[in-house]
Order: sequence, then C-alpha cells, then structure tokens
Amino acid sequence: MSQPVPSGPKLRLDGVRKTFTVPRSGATVVAVETADLTIEAGEFLTIVGPSGCGKSTILNMLAGLELPTEGTVAMDGRTITGPAAERGMVFQDYALFPWKTVFENVEFGLRYGPHGKGLSTAERRRRVARCVELVGLGGSEQKYPHELSGGMRQRCGIARLVANEPDVLLMDEPFAALDAQTRIILQEELLRIWGETGNRAERRTVVFITHAIDEAVFLSDRVVVMSAHPGRIIEVLDVGLPRPRTDATRTRPEFQALSQAIWNLIRDEVYRAATAAGSAGGARD
Amino acid sequence: MSTRRWPRYFILPLGLLVLWQLWGMTLPARSRAPVPLDVLASAVDLIASGRLPMALLQSLGRVGLGFLVAGSIALVLGLLMGFFRPVERNLDPIIESFRPVAPIALLPLAILWLGTGTPAAVFIVAYAAFFPMIVNTIAGVKGVERRLVQAAQTLGVPQLTILRTVVLPAALPSIFIGVRLAMGLAWMSIIAAELAVGSKGGGGGSGGVGEMMFVFYAYYIELDSIVVCMIAVGLVALAIDHGLRWLQRWLMPWAEQYR
Amino acid sequence: MARAADSGAPPGRQWRQSTVLLYLRSLLALAIIWSLIALWVGNHVILPQPTSVAYELFRLIASGEMLVHAAVSLWRLALSYALAALIGIPLGLLMGLWPWASDLLDPVVEILRPISGIAWIPLALFIFGIGNELPIFIITYVALFPFLLNTMAGVRATDRTLVRAARTMGVDQRTIVRHVMIPSALPQILTGARIAGGAAWMSLVAAELIGAPSGLGFAIEWYRQLLMTPKVIAVIVVISLLGYLTDRGLRWLQQRLTPWSTGIGANP
Ligand SMILES: Nc1ncnc2c1ncn2[C@@H]1O[C@H](COP(=O)(O)OP(=O)(O)OP(=O)(O)O)[C@@H](O)[C@H]1O
Ligand SMILES: [Mg+2]
Repeated sequence: MSQPVPSGPKLRLDGVRKTFTVPRSGATVVAVETADLTIEAGEFLTIVGPSGCGKSTILNMLAGLELPTEGTVAMDGRTITGPAAERGMVFQDYALFPWKTVFENVEFGLRYGPHGKGLSTAERRRRVARCVELVGLGGSEQKYPHELSGGMRQRCGIARLVANEPDVLLMDEPFAALDAQTRIILQEELLRIWGETGNRAERRTVVFITHAIDEAVFLSDRVVVMSAHPGRIIEVLDVGLPRPRTDATRTRPEFQALSQAIWNLIRDEVYRAATAAGSAGGARD
Repeated sequence: MSTRRWPRYFILPLGLLVLWQLWGMTLPARSRAPVPLDVLASAVDLIASGRLPMALLQSLGRVGLGFLVAGSIALVLGLLMGFFRPVERNLDPIIESFRPVAPIALLPLAILWLGTGTPAAVFIVAYAAFFPMIVNTIAGVKGVERRLVQAAQTLGVPQLTILRTVVLPAALPSIFIGVRLAMGLAWMSIIAAELAVGSKGGGGGSGGVGEMMFVFYAYYIELDSIVVCMIAVGLVALAIDHGLRWLQRWLMPWAEQYR
Repeated sequence: MARAADSGAPPGRQWRQSTVLLYLRSLLALAIIWSLIALWVGNHVILPQPTSVAYELFRLIASGEMLVHAAVSLWRLALSYALAALIGIPLGLLMGLWPWASDLLDPVVEILRPISGIAWIPLALFIFGIGNELPIFIITYVALFPFLLNTMAGVRATDRTLVRAARTMGVDQRTIVRHVMIPSALPQILTGARIAGGAAWMSLVAAELIGAPSGLGFAIEWYRQLLMTPKVIAVIVVISLLGYLTDRGLRWLQQRLTPWSTGIGANP
C-alpha cells in the first residue's frame, strides 16, 4: 500500500517464512507464511490477528531472537542476524529478572549493555528513575518482580525498554494486563515517548502487537491484520487519523468505522480458522 | 507446635541415655566402654585443652580448601557446559565416567601421589565436592528461562556478561542445592580420608578430627573421646548445613517465590 | 548409521547413536591424554599406562581374583542393604502414620543422622574388630536413613482426599494403609532406595578400606601396599562400574515399579 520512501525502509520483511519442528514427533508447524512488509522510520505499526497467528513470531524475528526459515529480515538494509540494543523488546510474558528489583531491572540494559556506555552512574540513575516514574512505578523501585501485580510487571518491562532508548521499539501486547484507566494513560504516554508531537524525523519506530482493535487504531499509522493457520498477512490498513491523538479521537466516526472494518476481517478469520481446523482434524483420522 | 507434645520428644533420647549410663555402671571398673558421664568429662577435657577445636579447625580448613578448588572449577565448567552445547557434548562423557568413582576409592592413589598429609585429604574432598556441584550447576543453567536470556539480548548485553548477570543468578538456587550436597559429602569424605590416612599412612601426624579419632582408637583406646569426636562431627555437619541454608536465604531473597 | 538412515527410524535413535560415538570419542581423547601424562611421568608405580591397567584388569578377571573380591563386597552390600530396608521402611511407615511414633523416634533420628557412617568406623572397629560385621554395620547404618526418611515423607505426603475417598467407600484403616498409603508413598520410597544405594557403595569402600580383610575396598589398599598401581586402578574401575550398574538397576526398578510417577528422580 504505502510505497517505500527513497531513503529505504527502516525494517523490511522479504518473503519471510517461519516453520518450527516439533521436537518429538518431527512434525513441521508453519508459524508465518510468506510475509512481505516494509516499515518506515518513525512509523507506528500495529499487528492484530487471532491468537496463534504468528504475531509474536514476526516480532521475535524483527528482534533477531528467531531467524526466518526462508527470506530475510533487514534493518536499514542490513540483514538481521541476532538481537541488538537498537531493537528493544517488551515481552508478552514480561521476562523480568526475578533476582533484580524494579529499579535494577530498568537499569539492566544501561548497566550491562552498550547504550549505557559513557553515562556516569548518576546520569544512569537519573534516567532510570525518570523511566520508573513515567510508567507510574515510583515508590516501588525496591520491590522484586514477585511482589508486583501483573500490570505493574508489565509497566516495569516497558520502563526497561524505554530506559535503553532503542531505535526500534518492539512491543508484544505490552498493555494486555493493565486496567482500562492505566491503559489509556500509558497509550498516551507511549505516543509521547514515540514523539507524536515532535517532527516526523525524530520519531522512533514502533512495532506493536495487541488484541484490542481500538488500541491498534488509536495508536498506529498502519495496522497489519493477520490470519491464522497458516499465519499470513491479509491486509495492511492506513489509519490516517490526525495526530496528536486525544480522547476526542476515539469518538470520531472514522475511528469507529476503521475499528469495525478490522473487526470484520478478524471475525471472518476466526470463524474460517475454527472450521478449517475442525475439518483438518477430521480429515487426518 | 502444641506445648503438650514437646515432652514426648525427650522421652526416648533421655531414656536411652539413662539406660546407657546404668548399663555402664554395671561394667567392671576397668572396662573401656564409653559411658555418658565419662563422655561428658572427656568432652570438657578435649574442649578445654583446645585439642578438639584445633582438630576440627584443621579438618574444616581442608574441607574449605578442597571445596573452594572443586567448587570454582565446577562452577565455571558447569556454566559453560550448560550454556554452550558443544562444550557439554564433549565434556559430559568424561564427567559421567568419573562420577561413579567413589572418592574414598581414590584414597590409595592420592596417598601414592601426594603423600599422607594435607594435599591427599584436600584432593579427596575436592573430588567428592566436584560432582554434585557440576551436575547441579549444569541442571540449573539448563533450567534458566530462555526468555530472560532473550530479554538481556534485546538490551544489547554481550554473551559473557549475560552468563554472569542472567544465567548465574537464575541458576543460583540449583547451584546452591549442589553446594549443600557437596559440603555434606566433603565433610564426610574428610573424616574418611583422615581416618584412612591415619590407619594406612602409619599413623603419621596428619592431624584433623578423623586422624584424632583413629589415634584414640589405635593407641589410647579412649572410647569416650571417640564418642565425643563423633558428636562433634555430627554437630559440625549440622552447623554447615544450617549455615548454608541461612546463606541461601540471605543471598537469594527473591528465590522463595521464584522456585 | 545405516539404521538411522532408515526412513522409519525415529529421531531419538539417531540422537542416541551420535551420543554413543561422542562418548567413545571423548573417552579415547581422555585415554590418549592419560597415556601422554604417563609417558611424561615415566614411573609405572605412580601412573601406569592405560594399556597396562587394561591388561591387569583382564588378568584379575581371568584369574577369578576380581570375582572373589567383588562377590564378597556385593554380598555384604546386599545383606546390609536388605537389613536397612527391613528396618527403615517399617519404621518410616510407623513414623509417617502415627504422630506419637514420630514424636518419640524423630529426635533420635535427628541426633544420629548428621553423624556420618564413616565417623562410626573407629568405635565399630573396637566393638566388632576387623571382619564382616564392621562393613555390614556401617552400610546398614548409612542406608537406613534414606529408607526411613523417604518412607516417612512419602506416607505423610499422601493426598488426604485419596484417604477420604477410600474412607467413604467403607474401607478399613488396614486396607487404606496397604492399598492407598503405601502405593502413593512408593515413588518416594524408591527414591530413598536409590539414595541409599549410592551412599551404601561409598561407605562400603571406606569401611572395607579401613576395617575388612577382604572385598574390593580391601583389594585397592592391598595392591597399593604392594605398589601394584595398575591393579589398584583396575579395582577402582570395577568398583565404579559396579556402582554405576547398581544405580542403573535401581533406576530401572523404580521405573518398573512406579511407571506412573513423574516426580524428581524418577526419570533417568
Ligand atoms: N518455539 C516454538 N516451537 C514450536 N512452535 C512454535 C514456537 N513458537 C511459536 N510456535 C507456533 O507458531 C504459531 C504462532 O505462534 P505465535 O506465538 O507467534 O502466536 P501469536 O500470534 O503471538 O499468538 P498470541 O496472540 O496467543 O500471543 C503457533 O501455532 C505456535 O504454536
Ligand atoms: Mg504472542
């Protein structure tokens, strides 16, 4: 849909296929079926789709945590071969270090990774404290992850990502465990961190996964809709709502219409997948 | 729990002690059999003269030294073997083939190679402590959640730093199981080693509580003192284990919930 | 290799074969290193060549000498192991089932347990002298605790709802113990049996080394005094092999007797 700008896309999936081999039986599972996608620098892109359609798998490949079975995944024209600090990630299951406090978790990347090089201890602490405040975890700095609620853990994971100031933010359902109010606040905070109000050139690139369609529409420039079995990109939609987005955005008719359109796409998918899975199961017998 | 139950706890130990004492008093005066009151007297003597504490310290020193050597090798090897597949595939067969070798069985070789002094005893302790340490370290590293390693990777942390800052702490609870097993085994082996060195090395002054027990047996036939040593050995074993448990709680305040 | 290439071969077999090859390769590397060190040391008494150890091992086995030592040790081991099980399991059941029994016995167990079997050797030497009784006493003592403690813990861990379910069916206490509590404690009892086996081997060697006139432990020490190092190492190899096989056998038994168990220690 959107043409790549002359400078080249930030991220690019080129004929990407990903299969997994089930260890014991040796069977092959197709997680992602030939995906082509370009993501521009400064773009906010959201992926939606039914559970198990390969959203996390695509994000993992962008992070470099998984390598595609076929095709290439590239950043700034260079093939991604492994994880790096310029592509930070919020994990669906938080992945907080249980032996580190909230503060130490947020500090982790700056302390042991390349992005903290050249920062004095005081500067580092200040930045960490700011990020902790940002996600509303002020006062819980010295708690261990097991002492946090699900939503607090998720916010801690977001703070850890933001503190490391990566070029590309990969977020796997980062707001799934939050209550509605916190969610709305953090959505607006995320847009601010991303640089919604600033000029386009200074924005970071975000690839965001969610199950909530309104969240996808509210946040993104484009929404990628995926289908399940096998996981495939069926539609890429331009949102086109004006920025900065506010509470008023949610009540606009375009917002409603787009949400409804995405929901229709996914609903058909879910039904189709359910019946297909049923008949496939029957055929195997 | 209930205050009514606790007197029961003392019935059998006290009863046995009294029976033992009464039985001792029926023996002829020249009998060498140990009797509780004589054991007590001997304990006071051995502690007051400083002989028992010295011997225990010497044995503990050997355990500490052997454990330090074995523990650090096992820790490094175990981390590498658990984290890097090729290292494990090549070293695992060697470790698995030495694992069933009872440490005490190596004592004759140790005496042959290192003489009847401290080095031989330390060797046995190190050998005994090595296997529980490495087995549990590897298991711990393999049990580390992949997600946590990935999280560190996406923050750009280099592999070797990940090994230190993610894999090591995540494997620590399991490593500690290894430490406790290893220390128990090491303490047991030092007694065996000192006893055997005492008995087979011509009773040379190799020192340690094990040798002290052997000397009491072989030269003085002071059975009371032997019983004192046995109790001391048991108490030290208990103290080691409790100390390690305490250390574990102190080192890993997160682990209670985590495991 | 040829078999793994068969289309029907599951991936597991392929894996197993390559493991065996790797194993042999690593052991070969070890033997070569050993051999080189032995060359460098250049003293047959201190470190013999692996080949001469293999030769002595063969001779000891062929002459039947090894068999005699091994038979004596294994006989002692089996006898004391059985004794430990016969004392430990009923006592453990008793302590697991009736609080008064554990209140009475527990302190004694907790006082004795930290005193390792090896620490008993000097006193036992005085009581029994050098002979069969000393190793049998030590091994029984050592193997007793794993049997007892694991049986007790296993019985205590019996799911209360299982017991209640049996009660609601009108089953009497005796039958509940026999058909509910013992089977549900069995996996843990067998774990105890394996721990006991390992501990028994280790103390067997120690006890025979110091206080027996025969057996494998005695043999190592005897050949050391004669400075026949290849034989010393050959006996060590046999001890390790037998220890390994004992553990394998107990694992096998564990899997055969409690195939439903998935708990720790149940899997190889
Ligand atoms: N490591 C793996 N091994 C085998 N199969 C996998 C693996 N990871 C993912 N899969 C399979 O790939 C498919 C896609 O998984 P993925 O986690 O990407 O889904 P998802 O879209 O993120 O789902 P959800 O919304 O529930 O998080 C699923 O069928 C899953 O079972
Ligand atoms: Mg997912």
